[in-house]
Amino acid sequence: MTTTFGRFVRTATAAALLSATMLSPALADTTLKFVSWQVDDAGTGDWWKAAIAAFEEANPGVKVEFTKVERAAYADTMTTLFAGGQPPHIVHLASFEFQSFAENGWMENLGPWLDKDGIDMTGWAGQGKCMWNGETACIMMNYFGFIMAYNKALLEQEGLSVPTTYAEFLEVARKTTKDFNGDGITDQYGTGHETKGGAGQYLTEMLSYILDAGAYWTDADGNVTIDTPQMVEGLTRWKTIVKEGLTPIDLSAGDIRKLFADGKIALRLDGPWLYGIMQNGAAAADTVVAEPAFTPPVGGSSNVLGMASEIPDGEKALVWDFIKLVMSPEWQRKYATIGKNTPPSPVADVSGVEQDVPHFPLLIKTMMAASDAGVDRIPTGLEIQYNEFGKMVQEEVQRMLIQDLDPAEVVKVMQERAEAIKNGG
Amino acid sequence: MSRVRLFDLARPSRQHLMGYILLAPAVLLVGLIIVYPLIISIDLSLQAVKLPRIGAPRAPFTTANYERLFASSEFWMACWVTLKLVVVVTAGSLITGVSTALLVNNRFRGRTLARLAMALPWAVPEVIAVVIFAWIFDSSFGLMSWLLVKLGLSNGMVAWVSTPGAAFWAVAITMIWKGFPFVSIMTLAGLQSIPTDFYNAAKVDGANVFQRFRWITLPLLMPVLGVTLVLVILWVFRDFSIIKVLTEGGPLKSTQTLSIMTYDQAFGFFNFGYASAVGVVTLVICVVASLLMLGRQTRAMY
Repeated sequence: MTTTFGRFVRTATAAALLSATMLSPALADTTLKFVSWQVDDAGTGDWWKAAIAAFEEANPGVKVEFTKVERAAYADTMTTLFAGGQPPHIVHLASFEFQSFAENGWMENLGPWLDKDGIDMTGWAGQGKCMWNGETACIMMNYFGFIMAYNKALLEQEGLSVPTTYAEFLEVARKTTKDFNGDGITDQYGTGHETKGGAGQYLTEMLSYILDAGAYWTDADGNVTIDTPQMVEGLTRWKTIVKEGLTPIDLSAGDIRKLFADGKIALRLDGPWLYGIMQNGAAAADTVVAEPAFTPPVGGSSNVLGMASEIPDGEKALVWDFIKLVMSPEWQRKYATIGKNTPPSPVADVSGVEQDVPHFPLLIKTMMAASDAGVDRIPTGLEIQYNEFGKMVQEEVQRMLIQDLDPAEVVKVMQERAEAIKNGG
Repeated sequence: MSRVRLFDLARPSRQHLMGYILLAPAVLLVGLIIVYPLIISIDLSLQAVKLPRIGAPRAPFTTANYERLFASSEFWMACWVTLKLVVVVTAGSLITGVSTALLVNNRFRGRTLARLAMALPWAVPEVIAVVIFAWIFDSSFGLMSWLLVKLGLSNGMVAWVSTPGAAFWAVAITMIWKGFPFVSIMTLAGLQSIPTDFYNAAKVDGANVFQRFRWITLPLLMPVLGVTLVLVILWVFRDFSIIKVLTEGGPLKSTQTLSIMTYDQAFGFFNFGYASAVGVVTLVICVVASLLMLGRQTRAMY
């Protein structure tokens, strides 16, 4: 009996030890998967990493696995992860692509989570874009306005001042486009636009000219509004810039930004992220940021944060804690100081940020200008078909450039095709 | 004892079982990585599904994806581009590959180096090769346009990626560069298996170099060339990364092959049902082409 009892005690002790040494850590340690294309981005990537470190410190035993996926392969990777039943816990998507995931029921409705914590989203920039089928599919992480960067040395060489209108912009672009040795190869460009790559980026590159001409793809009710005299003017401007060779062609946005930063391009319209690249360029001493020469500036939603709907409830609570952390006024301020970007939170205290980021008031100004004008890169009513719509516009614009078509005819075709896409044709 | 004898695979009547057992892992692996996705793909193509989900309930059966596909001008355009690319790239790879193989089959100083140089493009990873060619064909600062300008063959930079004809040739040249070494290596192996007695006898009979090539080399190479041809055609059919990196299928769909169309529909527009239909039709075309080619080209002429 004693022997049996002793064996029982030994077994029980061993089991308890095993539980303590092996099972407990397994239960306590949780890893949240977080995939993003911004991991190595100067500024924004640093902000994400700092937020993750703060979250991990506040939640011992919880790790955030922050993995980079290139933007070019991002939609493919995320689709595969979700379709295979292995979504990341923290879902980071571009604001033009989350709709398909939400439509499929893959994004958790964050409305009840916001209500539970009494978080008021009034005034949160771009948050309206995160409403999908009456639910809060995501939290808008960035709403921005375009800035115009210029190379003051190149402008001064030609005796030009900083352009404030499209006409002045065109004049500066023409005068700073140079073939120095006359060999037929342009050595310096007046401006730079990405014309190779994704359709979404192509549309964004064109948008400054279109908005300044008073045109847009759809109205507030989602009706297609392409066939207008204003759109004809916008397309004519784009055609002028490309056909006159004022921009290098068939280059990616990264290449264009690098060329500008190295002093090979005089003017560049871009988002706040351009500043970090400028600082590391060969022409850093000559590149300056200013208010865009176009009204209203291009702007709008950029990327969103959400939660996969199918993860266990315990992990959902942790993901929500992370989302809450990055939404907090403290981390929204750090989005400006570390991320060098405009925080969407209306209650973030951004006073004094200009001491670290001298052009920060300009970023706020252009963001507000875009917001006040109701500008967004994703046209209302075409959110879910945005990629298809973008591809169609890119194709028709390329046809206009290659076949030298009249923009007045092009807008008619685009109107017809956009309506067909909208109606599921 | 009787149980042991039951599994005695050494018995002549059960020797075939051993073969099946040895084959089973390979068959299971093939089933898992080829047949299963194929079945999933065919099943998806017969559903109106935007974004699929493993384990999700099946959507109702429909042939709408195929009806839309065959009525779509985009699909026929992609077929035409694929066909053009198959013909140009296969012919280019074959001519370059056979020529270089004939060259390095001769004895000369530096032959080893020449063979190495010939095989080099095959060894370079495809994505790296495409990035290099993307710079060569860059429309603003590319080497190819610079050369054309310096040689006086062009007045200015050529818009390789934004002109339909130039984009097609940029893709085709890159594919030929990447594909010809495979033909060379296969042809070289075939050339080395031809007995020298045949050439000696032909020389005695007074056959010149072209006659020896026409009546000895080419016929005896046909089994190798036939299989190589099929493999090259299938490679051109399914190749994706070269076109994706260089032109993304543009401009104006001038380089959009069936594989690019499948990708765009699946991951660009999230039309997985429709994309699966494109994929299934591509597979059928590939199978038919392979059967035709293998049936006719792999037989030696003698």
